[in-house]
Amino acid sequence: MAAGGDCKAVSIELGHFALILACAIALGSAVGGLLFWRSGQRLSQVLAQASVLQFVLVAVAFLAVVQAFVVSDFSLKLAADNSHSLKPLIFKISGVWGNHEGSLLLWILILVLFGALVAAFGRRLPADLLNLVLGAQSLLVVAFGGFTLFTSNPFARLASPPLEGADLNPILQDVGLAIHPPLLYAGYVGFSICFSFAMAALISGRIDQAWARWVRPWTMLSWIFLTLGIAMGSYWAYYELGWGGWWFWDPVENASFMPWLAGTALLHSALVMEKRNALKIWTIFLSIITFSLSLLGTFLVRSGILTSVHTFASDPTRGLVILTILAVLIGGAFLLFALRASSLRQGGLFAPISREGALILNNLFLATAVGAVLVGTLYPLVLDALVGTTISVGAPFFNLTFGALMAPLLLILPFGPLLPWKRADLVAAGQRLAGLAAVAIFLTILVSSLGGVSISLAPLGLLLGFWVTFGALAELIERSKLGRIPVRESVRRLVGLPRTIWSTALGHMGLGLTVLGIVSVTAWETELVTTLNPGETTELSGYSVTFDRFEQVPGPNYLADTGRFTITAPGGGNKELSPERRIYVASGMPTTEAAIETYGFSQFYLQLGEPLDDTHVIRIWYKPYILLIWIGALVMAGAGALSLTDRRLRVGAPQRAAKPSLEPAE
Amino acid sequence: MLVEESKRLGPMIFWFIAIAVTAIACAALLYAGRRRVVNGSTAETADANSHFRLVLAGIDADLAAGKIGAEEAVGAKGELAREMLRAKADTGPAASGEIGRGALVAGIGLVAVTALALYGLLGSPNMPTQPLAGRADVAAQNMSLEAAIARIEAQLATNPEDLRGWTVLAPALLEVGRYADAADAYGRVIDLSAPTAQLLADRAEALLLAAGDAGSEEAMGLLRAAAEMDPKHVQSRLYLAAELTRMGQYEEAARFWQAAIDLAKGDEVWLTAARQGLSVAQNDGVDTTVQEQAEMIRGMVDGLTSRLYADGGTIEEWAQLVRSYIVLGDLPNAQTAYDRAVVAYPLAFDRGELDSMALGAGLKLNGDQR
Repeated sequence: MAAGGDCKAVSIELGHFALILACAIALGSAVGGLLFWRSGQRLSQVLAQASVLQFVLVAVAFLAVVQAFVVSDFSLKLAADNSHSLKPLIFKISGVWGNHEGSLLLWILILVLFGALVAAFGRRLPADLLNLVLGAQSLLVVAFGGFTLFTSNPFARLASPPLEGADLNPILQDVGLAIHPPLLYAGYVGFSICFSFAMAALISGRIDQAWARWVRPWTMLSWIFLTLGIAMGSYWAYYELGWGGWWFWDPVENASFMPWLAGTALLHSALVMEKRNALKIWTIFLSIITFSLSLLGTFLVRSGILTSVHTFASDPTRGLVILTILAVLIGGAFLLFALRASSLRQGGLFAPISREGALILNNLFLATAVGAVLVGTLYPLVLDALVGTTISVGAPFFNLTFGALMAPLLLILPFGPLLPWKRADLVAAGQRLAGLAAVAIFLTILVSSLGGVSISLAPLGLLLGFWVTFGALAELIERSKLGRIPVRESVRRLVGLPRTIWSTALGHMGLGLTVLGIVSVTAWETELVTTLNPGETTELSGYSVTFDRFEQVPGPNYLADTGRFTITAPGGGNKELSPERRIYVASGMPTTEAAIETYGFSQFYLQLGEPLDDTHVIRIWYKPYILLIWIGALVMAGAGALSLTDRRLRVGAPQRAAKPSLEPAE
Repeated sequence: MLVEESKRLGPMIFWFIAIAVTAIACAALLYAGRRRVVNGSTAETADANSHFRLVLAGIDADLAAGKIGAEEAVGAKGELAREMLRAKADTGPAASGEIGRGALVAGIGLVAVTALALYGLLGSPNMPTQPLAGRADVAAQNMSLEAAIARIEAQLATNPEDLRGWTVLAPALLEVGRYADAADAYGRVIDLSAPTAQLLADRAEALLLAAGDAGSEEAMGLLRAAAEMDPKHVQSRLYLAAELTRMGQYEEAARFWQAAIDLAKGDEVWLTAARQGLSVAQNDGVDTTVQEQAEMIRGMVDGLTSRLYADGGTIEEWAQLVRSYIVLGDLPNAQTAYDRAVVAYPLAFDRGELDSMALGAGLKLNGDQR
């Protein structure tokens, strides 16, 4: 027998062993790194090696599970419970993380990946810092690896494997969902690096700009992944759940949104720390908060406390263990913070009106928004647990509080990048923005008069959207001296601008685009629910919809009722749309597959409802400029990536060494 | 045998690889700890210095490109200088000392032991993987009988003494209709093992099926031998009785029918057939039960005929009558009944299936065919 064949024959058990070995190494690293962090460079070399080993071993474990899913090895309980031999290959693979145990494994894989990246890129970090960071990171691996192995082992086996698996929940069998969790997890878990760095700073009592230089790229990287993950999840919910909505303020969505808000705040406060050596304690605090919210995001969902489509585990023991882990990690971190934060040295000074001041204002609004979402998400749960009263905190609460907090933030946002560090002149910045404000007001009036004012706040929303989108260009215009010097010279200056300037402008512009998309869809969306027979035609927002015929089509592991429709746009041109209702063979579960046709940034959304005697219920939406919501998110993520490529870490060029009315940073 | 061996070897192979992996990991960790330690603070100082150099170069470049004025550049450089001084002052206390090699080795050893022990607690080292494609139960379910037979035959060609192969092959050949081959296979089984009544009867069955209506002397001999060998063997007696009935040797046939019926417990599926066979044999080959049934049907048909001819009826009743005559083989009466039905239901549309049934039986169609 060949050695390869032998390896294959025991691959699942080897994967199991690899995971256990990785956890044992992590345990050793955590003890070594956190208790003997002063032991110097030899230890840090061992810990770095250990981090790389952890990644390699967990990757082996993960691949062993993937292999079992791909070859439909139902002696692995996880595969028997969640896979099916008829599933397309991509969904066999994505089925690995479409369940509680597998998603934990993916979570750990990304955790050790980030640890290995720190080890690989951090060889030049001070030994003390590296020891502590890798130790803290390993402690996380031990906590979640142990939880996985002892309560949710993906390597559980079945002595007599069934002939066929139970299949993956059909609504999770989707390309969007194949990539959504890995992106989201990369975002969540990436913040663990910030957390570990914060722990290291607190334990060692040392925090300097080297620390900030290190934390900011990791924050940025995680933030990019989280942005993409949330956007992906939102788009998935939009086209797969068939309700036509793109955000539901569902506890699980909130769970991913809170770390994003906190991460956004962290991104901006880390900027202040890196450039000005200020806001240190706040930055540390935000690092802890952001990762704690990430943990809440992943595991509160899993504890069975929150019920939703994502809740795979409803086993009370697991829930209790998760809550204990969360309490120990988060509680421990905050205890450490309370004990040690005062020992950190205060940083640079600045005036209230300055770049720093604007970023603090940004942080205030974002932190308050996190608080509002957190209260809205947890209050019903707590109330239910303590008093037994079931209340529902729905979209109106979130829209009102969140909207009220975001409006002023959006209003002041374009000012921020125009203000110099240390001390700034608000009037001067206002003058530079006046032209763009005029553009925003003009566009708002134009669009409002064309679209009609359907809800009273729509013009305000539009104004904020246009203001942020165009206001983001102010710094680019300013720096390129556009209109004041020859155009060619301006272009040359634009190209030569540091990438961070571009990334700031694009990031803020992306936010503006998202706001515009949200306002447009909320104010001008049209909807039609009607019954339609094959051969009949109806009309919505100038588009005519013809129901051509009804068919039953078999899919690889489902049967589909398919409606064939023809959409005629106002300007002519026909498009074929085929919404489906599927019944998955293994589970007998029905799903609806909406058909979506894109016209520019707008979309036409068609859903086939329940068959009703001879006729069919059809729901049609016209969603003007809805794509801007996700395009904005993509632009934001792209801007983040652009800033990561900028290697120039600059000290702020001060205007003048001004003294009056300076305030301590914290 | 191969399966058994891999079952025994599986855990050994697993532990071999697992221990090797652990050893490699430990070696890698020890190697990392063995590397010569350079001064820890140099790295960070170099890092900070290179950072400051980068910034300085950036300021100069901006100045050269005219992006910032000379005054701003001087300010920025001053700020940078202050930064450098601060960074220098920040350099913390030196490390308290390198970790000892002994501690390192002990720690790594503990990690290895922990991993192996934990796996011993949680793992299932003796469970091999079972990919769906390679699983015997699934393979058997998916493989066609022909393919399975071909595989066994190929094995038997190289190893004709394999009794188990022939035992599995013979009924499979019978199943797919290769009766002569099945008879040979049973012959091989009998040769390789001791003949039993069942084996002889099985071979006889295959021979009879192969011979068809011609009958087989050899089969009869085998059946008689089987019946003699085992006085309680039913199958051989049933076959003998049936064959003798077919051959017209009613007296002996009746004896075997009776013997088989006597051996029955009372709920056997073949009992009705055996009783009918006995009755046929006792009446010298005339099946009275068939005659009685035909008479009963005849009576019912006559009743229906007279009622329909006198009073008429639904088209379904007419169709039933025509069908009955066709089944009884009485075509003239079927034609008459059909003609009367056409008179009663002149439109072809009303007659529905009746016309196609009549056409199928070869009756002459008349009336309106539209």
